[in-house]
Amino acid sequence: MNQNEKFQLRTETQEGRCIVYLSGELDLDSASQLRAAMAPLMELTDRELILNLSDLKYIDSTGIGIFVSVLKARHAKNAPFEVEAIPPGIRKLFDMTGITPFLTKS
Amino acid sequence: MNPAEERIVLRLPARSEYLDLIRLTLYGVATKVGFTYEEIEDMKVAVSEACNNAVLYAYAGHADSDGVGEMEIRFVRTPDALSIIVKDEGASFDAASVAQKAEPLHGKSIHDIQAGGLGLYLMQALMDEVEVRSEIGTEVVLTKRLVKSGELA
Repeated sequence: MNQNEKFQLRTETQEGRCIVYLSGELDLDSASQLRAAMAPLMELTDRELILNLSDLKYIDSTGIGIFVSVLKARHAKNAPFEVEAIPPGIRKLFDMTGITPFLTKS
Repeated sequence: MNPAEERIVLRLPARSEYLDLIRLTLYGVATKVGFTYEEIEDMKVAVSEACNNAVLYAYAGHADSDGVGEMEIRFVRTPDALSIIVKDEGASFDAASVAQKAEPLHGKSIHDIQAGGLGLYLMQALMDEVEVRSEIGTEVVLTKRLVKSGELA
């Protein structure tokens, strides 16, 4: 499908975990929406922060840059952070840039 | 103009709200030319990276509301390739220093990783040829060769 899909995010808080579901196209235009949503969540050091990408259709270096800054902020607070359900097209970009091992457990 | 070249030109404000329109147009043009889904996805990211630079840096000095500059996207089709040329007329960025920073994160520690430079790195990794020209403004030429089915890549 190549209709553009508007970027959306939904946050689900469970015991010990906070999962943010991203969908649509994460580009320079939607980046500020993600940054604003992540800012308060990064402070929650008592729970695991997870980004679920199963419905994410597009990402570029803008989105990858946000993941890098969240990763570094969480690492500095010694708080867990992980990215899960990475679609193959997006995984390819993560592998190319070398960020995959920083974002996933295995 | 070379008679074997056909051009499609898109001119629009250098603002992030138009990036989706550029990706849609690229999809249409690249499909018509005969690229595969995966090749088109690669080109989408590479072209967006070039456009992001135009949106972020070209007109950064004139951020007043009516001072938004324009960018031009030219799709140039030849018998065996598609070139996408992203041009702005803003303050050109120093292509040589940017190219030096175009590196991936492989083998780095968490303290050393940073996202700067990934954009140009991705353009180079996803396209067959990338050329950055800075004269008046900046022009980024991204070329993908068309591998016809039946031919060995």
